[in-house]
Amino acid sequence: MGSAGMENGVLVLTDEIALPISVIRDLQSESVSEDDDVVVITQCGSLGAKLPFGPASFDVVVAVSSSSEFFTERWLEEIGRVLKPRGKILLQTFIEQDKPSSALERKLLMSGFLEVQTFEAKALLPYEKARIVSLEGKKASWTIGSSFPLKKEKIVLPKIQIDDESDLIDEDSLLTEEDLKKPQLPIVGDCELGSTRKACKNCVCGRAEAEAKVEKLGLTAEQINNPQSACGSCGLGDAFRCSGCPYRGLPPFKSGEKVSLPSNFLVADI
Amino acid sequence: MAMEPRRLLVLYASQTGNAMDAAERVGREAELGGCAAVEVVSMDRFDAGCLPKERVVVFVVSTTGQGDPPDSMKVFWRFLLQRNLGNQWLEGLNYAVFGLGDSGYQKYNFAAKKLDRRLVDLGAKPIIEKGLGDDQHPSGYEGALDPWLLSLWRTLNQIYPSILPRMSDILHPEMRTLENSKFQVIYHSADSVQQDSDMSEHPENFVKLIERARLMSPALQCHDEEKPHHLLRMVTNKRLTKEAYDRDVRHFELESLSSVIDFQVGDVLEILPGQNPSVVDAFLRRCNLDPDCCITIQRRATEKESLDPSQNGVVHPIKLRSFVALAMDIASASPRRYFFEVMSFYATAEHEKEKLQHFASPEGRDDLYQYNQKERRTVLEVLEDFPSVQMPFEWLVQLVPPLKKRAFSISSSPLAHPNQVHLTVNIVSWTTPFKRKRHGLCSTWLVALDPQESRGVVIPSWIHRGCLPPPPPSLPLILIGPGTGCAPFRAFIEQRAVQNTKGPTSPVLFFFGCRSQESDFLYEHFWLSHSQNHGVLSKEKGGGFFVAFSRDQPKKIYVQHKIREESARIWRLLNAGAAIYIAGSSTKMPTDVTSAVEDVIVKESGMSKESASRWLRALEKAGRFNTEAWS
Repeated sequence: MGSAGMENGVLVLTDEIALPISVIRDLQSESVSEDDDVVVITQCGSLGAKLPFGPASFDVVVAVSSSSEFFTERWLEEIGRVLKPRGKILLQTFIEQDKPSSALERKLLMSGFLEVQTFEAKALLPYEKARIVSLEGKKASWTIGSSFPLKKEKIVLPKIQIDDESDLIDEDSLLTEEDLKKPQLPIVGDCELGSTRKACKNCVCGRAEAEAKVEKLGLTAEQINNPQSACGSCGLGDAFRCSGCPYRGLPPFKSGEKVSLPSNFLVADI
Repeated sequence: MAMEPRRLLVLYASQTGNAMDAAERVGREAELGGCAAVEVVSMDRFDAGCLPKERVVVFVVSTTGQGDPPDSMKVFWRFLLQRNLGNQWLEGLNYAVFGLGDSGYQKYNFAAKKLDRRLVDLGAKPIIEKGLGDDQHPSGYEGALDPWLLSLWRTLNQIYPSILPRMSDILHPEMRTLENSKFQVIYHSADSVQQDSDMSEHPENFVKLIERARLMSPALQCHDEEKPHHLLRMVTNKRLTKEAYDRDVRHFELESLSSVIDFQVGDVLEILPGQNPSVVDAFLRRCNLDPDCCITIQRRATEKESLDPSQNGVVHPIKLRSFVALAMDIASASPRRYFFEVMSFYATAEHEKEKLQHFASPEGRDDLYQYNQKERRTVLEVLEDFPSVQMPFEWLVQLVPPLKKRAFSISSSPLAHPNQVHLTVNIVSWTTPFKRKRHGLCSTWLVALDPQESRGVVIPSWIHRGCLPPPPPSLPLILIGPGTGCAPFRAFIEQRAVQNTKGPTSPVLFFFGCRSQESDFLYEHFWLSHSQNHGVLSKEKGGGFFVAFSRDQPKKIYVQHKIREESARIWRLLNAGAAIYIAGSSTKMPTDVTSAVEDVIVKESGMSKESASRWLRALEKAGRFNTEAWS
């Protein structure tokens, strides 16, 4: 393997205090070759989901915990970071007898690992009560397209290597021609005076005239200092006013009391 | 005769809470209709493998601006796309799909459309045709939901008459009585709560308080990570746009109070905004609430389930005022239709009751939309407009929109500014249709924080990955970020400049756009300094900085024009394996920019537009075409 100075390797990560060396030997017989360098971190809880390694430093990360909750999304992200593209994560933990392992599989999927599956493996830690679950997943590959010389007649677009997800159908094939056409915007009438807008019960404020002009009627000083409402609804607040009401946008008021102006509105100002 | 199903499952995928509200309404109406077992669940909490066991499912899914399904749908959707499921996997399932989308976008309701077709392909049977809610409609998505729901219940009742024994109750909402609130408030003695201490001296207490308050909130969708990652303080608050210019865009520098900040460029900072204390007081007064009483909030047990005390875990009581201030949005978000419905039961004045019933009815839907959603009425404003309503706190707790965190792209590199986070924030303000001046809650709070005067103010924050994966130094970059979209790219460029001092880095092309060189050329000196003296954007380094000032000349020039001008350079870099990043606050900009890039490919390679489009989609799948667009 040996690419440009990076160690090959396996990282074994556990929150337990001690990990017997037989674990390394077990791993070496199953998933790791004898030549690989193995780095072990115990009590990894004290690291706060951060590993002291650069990105893409390991081929395999083995994560072992007695608690299925220990490896959070942040941990999985961090493990993903130190894994080389196409690197493997092997997760072993313990869960209650009747709980399914799908929640853990989902967690791995959500953290961006592919080909997540459970597999049978020997327990790396001694534990009687619960059942062990071993999961493996692969980190996505990251290959960059190649360059090519420009030809005069026929140009070939540079190839892009993408991780082949042939086990999923192409979701864009679910759309029809109809779906792909630009959607028709609904016909919107004049938003100020829609057809369902009702005038208040004894409206005398001139809604009919207001249909012609959309501008809000300005308020005179008299209307602010001594507000009156012939229909009785203007002082109740916007919910009760009709769209032509000159007091629209202002807070509720009592007849005859000066209307408080917008600067009193409860706008967040500290 | 085969056993008729009794259970109705409503599965929703919501991004901003609208689909969740719609789904809850579907569930409520089913319960009203007497359905024996109704469950409303978010897709990310449902194992897709269990879908074949269901008989009747209603799907409510939103589509985000770029045509994508919400995050909570991603795993579920991936499961459904598997080839090996076959076309009989969902045989026996009766379903209906309602989508929430915006016809202003090309990819209108794509998530719902794709889901509907995929379900049929898997063997499921549609009860009725899919319903498509549209933000562009005069009353929003409810405009489509109202008739669709009626049709759904009617048809379902014909297929399975016993699933909704009280159909008439759905059809005649005026006859309804109010059900019990889903949550109850438990009051505790004062000594069960530790005294609130001064936040800046005991930041750990504040962190705990936030976590406790938000974990208790029933209105918050998911409770992952309610504990702030960091408490930050404002150390620099600088206006970037010219004083006379109407838009205020700020450069904020935030520092951690205690914990070490670690993040990558491209990450997003989420902030929990502080609410104005006098506004909180006004709310407490209006609702006759005692700010100092200590409370916990619990789900009310229904007749069927027994309340398992261990389910809630250990819940710590907190002061009512703290809960309101930290978890209830009273002066920014608008309440939903159901809020008005419940209000109508608690209105003692006849004219108020009538008006509220009208707002909650299908006939009053458009009026409600005008008064409430379009005006962006706050909860406090609505309560003050209907003074006779006295809603019990347990209903308020369930129905007042939750106080949401706001996300911002981080605009600094940790290599250049360790233990700091920089933000580029547009201070939001607008005028409503009724000509009221309104301000964004979070941006207005931040802009008022002065590094000296507001020393004691803490900013609870979280750091998450965004949509833009951090590029390694060897990756050539084509960055397009007009307006505040330049924020993450300032971070990218700062990072690359530091990396450049330690080793070779690949070229960067950056396209910026704004209205005018004089008024809103954000970070002008920053970009220019990196374009000179062998900086990462300089010609010597193979880089480039291009800016479009849209209003400095009679003809409008945008970033897409600059992109077409530089087609040769862009093509050369794409061949070298460059990645394209687009960021910005416009709805249409990513589409326009993508189209411009396609034109570049067509011009330089001679390929057809369709092939170029396909190639870009493949690039996106390979992680080399990334967009972060916000509204």
